[in-house]
Amino acid sequence: MASRKADFSVVGHDQPRLDGAHKLTGRSLFTDDVVLPGMLHAKIVRSPFARARILGIDTSAALALPGVKAVITHADAPKLYVGIEQPLFRHTIVNYIGDEVAAVAALDEATAAEAAALIKVEYEPLPALFNIQDALKADALLIHAKAKGNIAWQQAQDLGDVELGFANSAHVRTDQYTTHASHNCYAEFHVAIADWSLPDKLSMWTPTQTAILFQKSLAGALRLSDGQVRIMSLNTGGGFTGRTSVRPHHYVAAVLSRKTGRPVKIRATADEEFIACRAGGEVKYTFRTGVSATGQIKAFEADISFDTGAYVESQMIVLTLTSSYIHSLYKIEAARYSGRLVHTNNIPYYFHHGGGLAQMAFGLGQHMDALARELGMDPVDFHLRNGVTKGYTSMTGTFFGSCGLAECITKTAKQAGWKRKYGKLPPLKGIGIGVGAMASGAKGVFKHDTSAAFIKIVDDGTMSLFVGLPDMGQSSHTAMAMIAAEVLGAQASDITVISGDTDIVPLDVGALIQRGTFNTGNAVKSAALDARKQLEVLAAGRLGVKPSQLVFRDRQVYPKGQPEKAIPLKKIVYDTLHSREGRFVMGRGFYNSPKDSGTMAYSFGAQIAEVTIDPDTGFVTVDRIVASHDVGRAINPRIVEGQIDGQVFSGMSQVLYEETLLEDGQVMNPSRLDYRLPRSYEMPKVEHIIVESIDPFGPFGAKEVGEGPIVCTLPAVANAVANALGEPVNEMPITPWKILQILGRRAKG
Amino acid sequence: MQLPPFAYHRPASLDEALARLSTAGDSVAALGGGTDLLINLKLRLERPRALVSVRDLPELAGVSLDASGTLRIGAGERLTDLAAHPLIVVPYPGLAQAIRAVGSQHVRNMATLGGNLCLPTRCWYTNQSENWRGSQLPCWKTDGQVCHVIKTAPNCRAIHSADSVPALISLGARVLLRSSQGERELLLADFYRDDGIENNVLAPGELITAVLVPPARVRSTFVKAAARTGLDYGYATLAGALTGSNRVPKSLLLVAGSVGTMPLVLQKPAQIILAEGLNEAGIEAAADAVRDDLGEVTNLFTPPGYKKRLMRGLVRRVLHELRRQKLPAAD
Repeated sequence: MASRKADFSVVGHDQPRLDGAHKLTGRSLFTDDVVLPGMLHAKIVRSPFARARILGIDTSAALALPGVKAVITHADAPKLYVGIEQPLFRHTIVNYIGDEVAAVAALDEATAAEAAALIKVEYEPLPALFNIQDALKADALLIHAKAKGNIAWQQAQDLGDVELGFANSAHVRTDQYTTHASHNCYAEFHVAIADWSLPDKLSMWTPTQTAILFQKSLAGALRLSDGQVRIMSLNTGGGFTGRTSVRPHHYVAAVLSRKTGRPVKIRATADEEFIACRAGGEVKYTFRTGVSATGQIKAFEADISFDTGAYVESQMIVLTLTSSYIHSLYKIEAARYSGRLVHTNNIPYYFHHGGGLAQMAFGLGQHMDALARELGMDPVDFHLRNGVTKGYTSMTGTFFGSCGLAECITKTAKQAGWKRKYGKLPPLKGIGIGVGAMASGAKGVFKHDTSAAFIKIVDDGTMSLFVGLPDMGQSSHTAMAMIAAEVLGAQASDITVISGDTDIVPLDVGALIQRGTFNTGNAVKSAALDARKQLEVLAAGRLGVKPSQLVFRDRQVYPKGQPEKAIPLKKIVYDTLHSREGRFVMGRGFYNSPKDSGTMAYSFGAQIAEVTIDPDTGFVTVDRIVASHDVGRAINPRIVEGQIDGQVFSGMSQVLYEETLLEDGQVMNPSRLDYRLPRSYEMPKVEHIIVESIDPFGPFGAKEVGEGPIVCTLPAVANAVANALGEPVNEMPITPWKILQILGRRAKG
Repeated sequence: MQLPPFAYHRPASLDEALARLSTAGDSVAALGGGTDLLINLKLRLERPRALVSVRDLPELAGVSLDASGTLRIGAGERLTDLAAHPLIVVPYPGLAQAIRAVGSQHVRNMATLGGNLCLPTRCWYTNQSENWRGSQLPCWKTDGQVCHVIKTAPNCRAIHSADSVPALISLGARVLLRSSQGERELLLADFYRDDGIENNVLAPGELITAVLVPPARVRSTFVKAAARTGLDYGYATLAGALTGSNRVPKSLLLVAGSVGTMPLVLQKPAQIILAEGLNEAGIEAAADAVRDDLGEVTNLFTPPGYKKRLMRGLVRRVLHELRRQKLPAAD
């Protein structure tokens, strides 16, 4: 396979995103744009109490309101569970502020809201739990009878001889970190439209990262077969691991549609948006690492407690992800992990970026930095000494077929001027490094991790590519078109990507675990090769060469080294169809990791942040980020840079700004105004270095760039702040008040 | 969230507007740019029966200098226009900075100066949706008997955060108020009341028609400490205006915003500068003294202690800026 950029005509070249003009001019359609004949609008009645007993629900006034078509409560769906110990509606005890108690469907949204306010629920308030410490106390009340000790889920494992590893360590360091609750701030709010007017077919329009998981969850819970559930996602406005599973509003729309026989739309209001999905924290981390005198990690131990809130659905995956992360980054001989999801009466926890890994990196990266400093070692040298390398197999069984970690670290350090600056900056100026690794897909959700693709080519040379992979802003569809175009000698703009309808497109596990470019990309490549084979028959005959000697490039087909003999691609397609055989060219392909479990490829990165602290306000400015990422091969370098920028922004924002403030279980800042997400003015200057390690298994050597950068940004910024301040802040976000408090304490001596 | 139903009037003259405003008393609200009022209607914090649009009244327009050099700014002027107006930008840089600090460009394109002066106080227990408030006991603003901001307070302690106000007070600005009964004029500093609900002295049916800035050759500045650039309320703001020289300052007004229920004139730091002069030692002493002036600071949107530490930094910053600044050139 060709490996130099010049060998490709599409891959590796900057390609503006195919839907760019549509997005910029507001023509891209989202679920909220869908209007169906007879469509009703729904509202959910939510608990105002963090924990209370329901004494009675009176729906009569709501039902009497003109325009109201249905009111549903627990009695309408008594066996429908949306999570473990989470029936769709509560009828005995509510467990958080926002818990679903009833729902109403009406002719318009205003009437639905009015009716929801008319549903009278009588409550008896009960004591509640609002943090991990209280929930874990021996005499704490039990939120769910089956979750003993309020532990919803736990996981523990020892790999290697951990005690021996610590015993053989010259230094052992322990650190504790806390990350607070946060929110994803999706560009698109939570919304669903369900049409279940006929009993044997449920159609649902909704943003999603994975239509197949939505289809299976809805079918299972609503007692339909998978094929009876049709999921349609138009564009999806942001994912961040938060749109990987069905949430209560999806079921509410479906049940109301069945009851009324009409399509039902439900969308979150601005403050419901913060209740429907709490992303991230509070999480408490304890990291303990033992190293040799020369800084070689001998043993590692992590203990992590997640405040999972009132319910769990599929959040236990966070334990698997956080337990394995260290093995993808450092060569570890012995590791111990213990983690648990702890119930409280807060909003159910979901993920914020990378299934909990980004937040974990805040503490883990600071812990390793502190360890290096304690040893008198430059953090850059520490990471280089311990980082995984190409050809290494970790104790979890992962083989690293490609690895640009060391190259990322050295290139970033050089460009940032690390040696010149580290330890030599004036007061209140700081520099810090963060390194990270990220899986390009993983088996574990199902026995397979399959992505499939179809491609059809019509006789003017244009093509339609059918994939199940959603595009949630990351420009995955443009990347898929580029991969197909490269194989078929077309241009990306010749290809229309069809996605987001499970009745039409082939199966795809979805845009999660950063599997799109790797898995779906391999499937698309395979489908394109299948289509090309069908064209080669005619082309090889016309040109009098073997199919293997054909070059498909720049909308032409020619024998290798003889471009002057080129035949236009569309003529080959036309003649293949307009022939006695009448062959319509349709390629198909799929990809499934050959491994039984785990990941085929990891991407790597290193970022160096420079910050300035303002002693008057405590504000931190991120002045510069040098970001280097091993993405295997950059299919679309422009978009790779965009992905890095987006994650630098979000990572910086998580470290310095974002917090869902909770007071007795209630979100105090449920708006974009008070949840202080920064604006583009706060975006630091980013310098990109793309490292291409050419993965042996990825399409054209490509790996993910979906979450790899952000796991570097959080520790880089946190370490830079610690460097500027002269001491670390072990709590995220690092707010201006924490900084002024530290500076004030120091001024007093 | 949707707007509640209301009647809408668009009078052609100030007299007609004042007649509309006075007839129905409390259940009529004047609508300027609507950038705050319409949000509060959606939150059901105000329930006027009718809105009277005052946005295009000719009597509320115009920026001009009278013979004495007093600057008259019509209350209906848009913030975007004022932020770039030569009669403001050159002589009163602090005021221009403060106006530019309000909301975002889109907000300033709609918002009026009069509206900003009448911006209701805000807190995160009350400025939420009706559903959200259902989890809290009603407070003074929502016909309850408690303040969630300061539990022991006998009245509403929500925060006053109109950015233009500290700057105008520091310049000694006055406001012209009109109702169908007549006109009165008072110092903007006397316009506000230390109550989050009855936050100013505007009588029912009364409207701010203009702001008057007295003639003076001043150095002036404004700083806003907010989490992000624009589209944000400040954790604290500070305006300063100085006459005289660094060595012999004649007058100094330092006015803080977003720290309490009304703008706060800082007495001690100003006295120190007037006594010691505007120099390095004076600035440090003034910054250290601000803590005593602040008294009970509302710890809203920030944890306890931060606003006092922050205000110390802002005093230092404003005084250093005034010290550096050159006096605007005389005409």
